[in-house]
Amino acid sequence: MKKTYIYNLIFASMLLASASSCKKALDINPVDTIEQSKALQTSKDVEVALVGSYSALGSRNFYGGRPFLMADFLANTDAIEWYGTYEELTQTINKSLLKTNSFVDNVWADGYTAINDANNVIASISKVDAAKKNKVEGEAKFIRGSAYFDLVRLFGKAYNDGSPTTNLGVPIILTPTTAVTDASYVSRANIAAVYTQAIADLTDAEAKLPATNGFFATKYSAAGMLARLYLQMGNYSAAANAASRVIASGNYTLTPAFIDAFPVMGSSPGSNTTEDVFSIQVRTLTGFNGYNEFYGSSTYGGRGDAVIAQDWIDNTYSTTDDRINAFYDDGDMFTSKFANPYGNVSIIRLAEMYLIRAECNARLAPAAPIGGQTPLQDLAVVRSRAGLTTTTATLANILNERKLELAFEGFALHDAKRTQTNIGSLPWNSNALVFPIPQREMDANKALVQNPGYN
Amino acid sequence: MKRLLLSFILSFGLISIAFSQGKVISGKVTSGISGPIPGVSVFVKGSPSTGTQTDATGIYKLSVPDDAKTIVFSFIGYKTKEVSITGSTINANLEEENTTLSDVVVVGYGTQIKKDITGSVASVKSKDLENLPVTSFEQALQGKAAGVSISSQNGKLGQGITVRVRGASSVTAGSEPLYIVDGIPITSADLSSTSSPTSALADINTNDIESIEVLKDAAASAIYGARASNGVVLITTKQGKVGKTLIQFNALGGVSTPSNHRDFLNAEQYVQILRRAGDGAANQDFLNGDYPTLAAAKADYAASVEARLTRYSAGNTDYQTYKVNTNWEKAAFQNDPITQQYDLSLNGGNEKTKFYIGGQALDQQGIIVGNSYKRYSGRLNLTNKVTDFLEVGVNLNFSNSINNRLSNDNAFSSPLQAVALSPITPFIDPRSGLVSGTLPGAASNYPVYYNPFIGIENAFYKATVYRTLGKAFANVNIAKGFKFSSDFSIDNLNQNEESYYGSLTFKNTGTANGDGQNISTFVINTNTNNFFSYNKTIGKSAFDVILGTSYQKSTTKYSTIEGQDFPSDAYVKLGSAATKVTASSNESAFSFLSYFFRANYKYNDRYLASFSVRADGSSRFGANHKYGYFPAGSLGWIVSEEDFLKTNETISLLKFRVSYGLTGNAEIGNFSARGLFSGTGAYGGSAGQIPIRIANPDLTWEKTKQLDIGLDFGLLKNRITGVFDFYQKNTTELLLDVPVPQTTGFSTKTQNLGALKNTGFELGINSENLVGAFKWSTAITAAINNNKITNLGGQILNGNEINAAISNQPIGVFYLPEYAGVNPANGDAIYYLNTTDASGNIDRSTTNDINKAQRIFAGNPNPKYTFGLNNSFSYKNFDLTIFLQGVQGNKIFNAGGQYMSASASNGYDNQTVDQMDYWNKPGDVTVTPEPRLFYANGVGNSTRYLSDGSYIRLKTLTLGYNFPTSILTKIKLSKLRLFATAQNLATITGYKGWDPEVNADYQSTNINQGVDFYSAPQPRVISFGINVGL
Repeated sequence: MKKTYIYNLIFASMLLASASSCKKALDINPVDTIEQSKALQTSKDVEVALVGSYSALGSRNFYGGRPFLMADFLANTDAIEWYGTYEELTQTINKSLLKTNSFVDNVWADGYTAINDANNVIASISKVDAAKKNKVEGEAKFIRGSAYFDLVRLFGKAYNDGSPTTNLGVPIILTPTTAVTDASYVSRANIAAVYTQAIADLTDAEAKLPATNGFFATKYSAAGMLARLYLQMGNYSAAANAASRVIASGNYTLTPAFIDAFPVMGSSPGSNTTEDVFSIQVRTLTGFNGYNEFYGSSTYGGRGDAVIAQDWIDNTYSTTDDRINAFYDDGDMFTSKFANPYGNVSIIRLAEMYLIRAECNARLAPAAPIGGQTPLQDLAVVRSRAGLTTTTATLANILNERKLELAFEGFALHDAKRTQTNIGSLPWNSNALVFPIPQREMDANKALVQNPGYN
Repeated sequence: MKRLLLSFILSFGLISIAFSQGKVISGKVTSGISGPIPGVSVFVKGSPSTGTQTDATGIYKLSVPDDAKTIVFSFIGYKTKEVSITGSTINANLEEENTTLSDVVVVGYGTQIKKDITGSVASVKSKDLENLPVTSFEQALQGKAAGVSISSQNGKLGQGITVRVRGASSVTAGSEPLYIVDGIPITSADLSSTSSPTSALADINTNDIESIEVLKDAAASAIYGARASNGVVLITTKQGKVGKTLIQFNALGGVSTPSNHRDFLNAEQYVQILRRAGDGAANQDFLNGDYPTLAAAKADYAASVEARLTRYSAGNTDYQTYKVNTNWEKAAFQNDPITQQYDLSLNGGNEKTKFYIGGQALDQQGIIVGNSYKRYSGRLNLTNKVTDFLEVGVNLNFSNSINNRLSNDNAFSSPLQAVALSPITPFIDPRSGLVSGTLPGAASNYPVYYNPFIGIENAFYKATVYRTLGKAFANVNIAKGFKFSSDFSIDNLNQNEESYYGSLTFKNTGTANGDGQNISTFVINTNTNNFFSYNKTIGKSAFDVILGTSYQKSTTKYSTIEGQDFPSDAYVKLGSAATKVTASSNESAFSFLSYFFRANYKYNDRYLASFSVRADGSSRFGANHKYGYFPAGSLGWIVSEEDFLKTNETISLLKFRVSYGLTGNAEIGNFSARGLFSGTGAYGGSAGQIPIRIANPDLTWEKTKQLDIGLDFGLLKNRITGVFDFYQKNTTELLLDVPVPQTTGFSTKTQNLGALKNTGFELGINSENLVGAFKWSTAITAAINNNKITNLGGQILNGNEINAAISNQPIGVFYLPEYAGVNPANGDAIYYLNTTDASGNIDRSTTNDINKAQRIFAGNPNPKYTFGLNNSFSYKNFDLTIFLQGVQGNKIFNAGGQYMSASASNGYDNQTVDQMDYWNKPGDVTVTPEPRLFYANGVGNSTRYLSDGSYIRLKTLTLGYNFPTSILTKIKLSKLRLFATAQNLATITGYKGWDPEVNADYQSTNINQGVDFYSAPQPRVISFGINVGL
């Protein structure tokens, strides 16, 4: 019996010992991740959060390429032949988007993820070392302003379609989300308000950013985006001036051959070209080229779903135009612009700046051309690189040149809208050419109003 | 290893102590029906340690002290018999015991006499689980426990199986039950690196299992507190039995075929429908004004279609004569895949030491090409009585499984996706002599999609698991009825997933020179239980109390590397990869610290009361919510013990029970409560961080309050026994991944929101219809479950745009536009508007714009009724078992329909044969819209692809023959049985797909259920086996 008591004591003390260590027993902290409260303490913390914002911006669903591809699909009549199975893109090329289209939802979600990430940086800007403060803030605002611009032109009516101060744009959120509260259910701001916000961000970014910044956003990345934005609004003098600032910087030059402006065909990681004003970086381990996914043939890392019609190529390019060579035959014809899964995604090329300035000067016909170059001179810069001579620079010439030069780079839809050009049988301001607000988002946020044509 | 184990056991055996003995008694033990019984314990009453056992022929010899008065014969399954000692020969004839109601049932931290249980426990014994050609034990359990709904996602081996106890009690947190093996919570999470789950439970050898108890109501399960809401499955492995060592060898071999085939178009039909689709699309283009004349449009389309057909016909015109007619569906199935299973077990011991040793080799080939599963496992269960107050033991299980896996159901490389390929495409490309689509050779856009058969030869994906499950335990008898139990266990799971996709799979992987992956998962799960138990009888009162604590910590480490650009396909290891594209490691852990208490009280053998409570602390919840308390109480009344029924001839048992209690669910991410940043925001070679999760410091348990009212009965001396239960489970404060506006930068937040309810009835009946020479027994399980989400805070969870979680509907309800068929005038697919106007009227007019159609609640993916019906017959030495299993009241959505049943309106996919019934000309009445190539006419998610999912299946049919004792004695065996068994022999269903037991693996969640997407059917396995006992 004595033995029993001894055992009894031993086990009772064991039990106590296990109980007393209980506080530690439940204290398990993540090792892969860190608590948000500890994430943004130092200058370096905010700087790496800025890098994180670029990675969000570069998501395949955002500046990785997909919204640009979808815009071109919506604007397509006879250039792209779609053989893919993604129902989301079948809807897009048929101009019959469903509210439940998950690609549309992804564009919305990832756009706002980039905005929230940028908001985190902007809200913690006081932590950043004085010497880097302007640069960091400028980059974050470049990201935020660009994201708002692209969201509003996809999810809202065209700026020139009715009244931008009454047409609905997208919700504007300027502070980082630390908790989901009643204030997180934001309604849509009007289109003019979103453009105003994007202009404010990009203007501030241009002011604060350095002229060179590696492959990150520079002063001229912001100016280039502003040029594109003002052109979309029809503010031609502001657009021409912004484009002119990019050209005049001298930091960028057109590549000698047209094809060199794009990633080398193949699958090795590329780098920016001399005419990249801003591009999204793709590496084997990070980033994703969302154009390549569908435009690339399977030999060049894509799915080979979006084929370019031979008839369109023949009817669009003259045989002396070097750009006719930017297609390759892999059973079907494919564009060579995106024939590298690890190629960078070019967002702003210098050629676009020349075309913007040329167009604005042609439209405004000022006494002295903005930037000191005539439309003919600017147009010739772009055309001569393609091996063509230039004799006239009418508005029609310039708009056509945009189609030749910028094909499949995400311009067709937005150009059609601002120039009020119908797409096939669809009027330029058709509801079908505006993304629906994702059904998932409508379900989650009752403050949102659906776009016309999707109810 | 085996030899080492044996010598270990032998050394335990030597501890036995010799006694001095007086006279010798001998005799033979028989049973009226079975003849001689080997292994019967024979001992002098009062001193069981002096006993012996009968040999294979039932003969025993026992030395007894001179003063011994009575001798006892005891054997499991028979009534214990006592005989007075008169003379030196004592033969005994043992009566078989109808054990159903006096069975001992395993409960949390102990066992209980079934008759005294006041909770709801389903118990399935080894005889209903053994010798079936299954991979994982859940498959053997299907249909055998009322209220436990078990469904395989598809027919791939070792893959996910959905188990729901009394319905799904969570919307976005885990809904799988807690699995406890011999008292320890094991790692049961899905560890697959793909979105298709694998079953960590497949590491357990079904033939090692003695019994499975499913704790269903709160009274039974609340002792497991915070993890009991989804039910608790207690698995008890076989223990050694006192007596002669029984050696058993089982072998089983069989052949599998798919339970069903699905018919696709032949070459002629394919060419016809695609040409028609070209015309249909041309007409639409013309109507849109894209062409000046219809003829021009048709000519354009015809050129394009013929060019494509030529391409898919390997670049020739054979398609015009339908010369090639490839059946890609058939090609996806292997020819006569073999299943083999070999078991060897040893079971024995004496009064001091008992052991069970089991070993198994399992080798299964799947019905789908490239799929196979092998498992080698061994188990040692050993106990030793060190002294009269101390018992120690170990349970040790090790296993090694090798699963040659297939791609997810939604991958082009999944073999069954080959059905999308054209019948005009030859299997072997005549231009290259290689499997069609193999590079180099023909253009990469041939055939329609990546040909999955290229991967069969040029790729592999192998998951290898090494698992060790070990437990050491001690039981100390402190005083009479007062015991302390302590155990410590480690469940160590090492998984390596290795894959290599060779250069020829380029079209699938997009990398020209091979892609290899190597993924390692390491889970170490430690647990200790320490508890006191005390039982005492005072007069008519009997008490039984436990009090204890447990602690569990589980750590998972995960690393993955992926490389590309190999020198050649001869190199498959990542050291040879020139480019590393992924390199990542993760770690995560959780812990539970728990205290538990239970008291059972019985008065006068008829009034029962029980109370239990568990306090659970978990690392998963915020500082203020770390602990939860889970009480449950129950009452029982054994009416048949009352005087007015005690003498009743008809009613042998009548018991009422009622229980009520609280359980929890903690199956969420380990750090779901926290706001987190991750360092995975690298960009362009620079390190970056990104916010990945929004904080919720208030996160706490999901709570389920469950009421159970039950009735147990036995009729005609318990020849008919039954259990009937009604339950209501109210789950509140759901752990919900609530969609938040994505404008916040996040898509969901885990919070406690909403409520759901499961109510249902369960019935279990066992009946000995015929006894005597011809025996017939029937076992019925049936259950009804009604699941309803009562509140979701106004949220609609509809991630896949097919299933939804929404208030006032069952979880996963199909939420789809309602298909109205085809407009006879123009061949448009049309949908009912179903919009509701201001006065509440529903507009039943139709539209051809699916966007305009209001979604309706179109059906439930979860069955309302589940049932199993087992009939066992035996005559002389033959036995026959017929087991039917089924579900009713659920629907299935064929998500592949938009491609395979799309009237060729969605590309060049081959179509199911029913699509030939397409609309062809004005006036045609059909439900299949006009074929319009790439016009997606009618292919949006709608009720068009929804169908009834009810089925009845002949799950198991077994015919066996036991050799009679007369022969066994001659060949010195204790048992010899030959049997043939068929699994999934026949299925009756209205579902037109491959198999109604389906939920596409890559997308399965609590909500996404009942969705078919090129999912493999269940195998029909015909096998033959032998059991040999020495």
